[in-house]
Amino acid sequence: MVIFFFPFPPFRLFFSYFKDLVGREVTVELKNDLAIRGTLHSVDQYLNIKLENTRVVDQDKHPHMLSVRNCFIRGSVVRYVQLPPDGVDIELLHDATRREARGG
Amino acid sequence: MVIGLRQFMARVGTGAGEPVLDTDNGEELVHVQPSVSIALGNRSPDTPGTLYITTKQVVWLSDLDRAKGYAVGFLSLSLHAVSRDPEAYPSPCIYTQIETEADEDDSEDSDSECNDVLDLSKVTEMRLIPSDASQLDTLFQIFCECAELNPEPIEEGEEGGHNWVFSTDQLEDETGEGDDAECHFHQNPTNLIGHSNGDHDLARTVLELQIHDQRFEDAEEMERVSDSSHHQHQ
Repeated sequence: MVIFFFPFPPFRLFFSYFKDLVGREVTVELKNDLAIRGTLHSVDQYLNIKLENTRVVDQDKHPHMLSVRNCFIRGSVVRYVQLPPDGVDIELLHDATRREARGG
Repeated sequence: MVIGLRQFMARVGTGAGEPVLDTDNGEELVHVQPSVSIALGNRSPDTPGTLYITTKQVVWLSDLDRAKGYAVGFLSLSLHAVSRDPEAYPSPCIYTQIETEADEDDSEDSDSECNDVLDLSKVTEMRLIPSDASQLDTLFQIFCECAELNPEPIEEGEEGGHNWVFSTDQLEDETGEGDDAECHFHQNPTNLIGHSNGDHDLARTVLELQIHDQRFEDAEEMERVSDSSHHQHQ
């Protein structure tokens, strides 16, 4: 199973949840359709995401693009984050989602 | 600040000068990096120039031509990275992607190059190539810090807790479906990736939450129903 996680502002509680995913492999898809895979290095309260060992998921579409060690992705351009299925606490994520939508 | 890359011509001082900043609104210069070339889209690098990083934007000014300068606000920088792979680009550089007004229809390299006139507002990639490659990690770090200073401005007031939105784009085309959304975890990723061509309905079909699902009932602190057997996934 794969979990697609669509963040929405104000992001505060998602940020707490994401901090626990540091070190895990995630795929971030941006609103311009670019998908980037990497190890989650850090995330901040705006859901800006820093990845390490990044590579582009669809090399054919973006051949000249990233094969970089580190990259910084602006939180506002993230369409979704694909999370590793193991070790994801669904109840915790539901809880964070519900509280975030209620304004925390 | 306008979205995307734009011309920057406001200089002060003699010689090549320095960029005029919006100090009245608190813009400050953070870092200056001389001897930086700039490559927009697929074009060959423009050189020589100086890079100015401020609390609001990235400005590159040509050292030779006072009329030539470019700037992009951090609000428009979708991502930045250090690029060292010679197969990706011959010179080590800071690679950035720039958000443009109309992202969807254009191809990756859609800087219209007819007659060598570049439509800056359509540039989606920019590389900054310092002559001193050892500065790349420092520049990357400064980009990170300044990006963090520029979060999205908060436009709406607090959305009522009952409006579930699944991407910020959905805030504009909100239909009245509020309470009746449903939740599934989709188990077949390939379909979704294939359909994600700027199709924002992807958000709706993939992850919609059932507001009346009992998991979202307020849990009393002490008597939380521990339904640990209630797992939807295997």
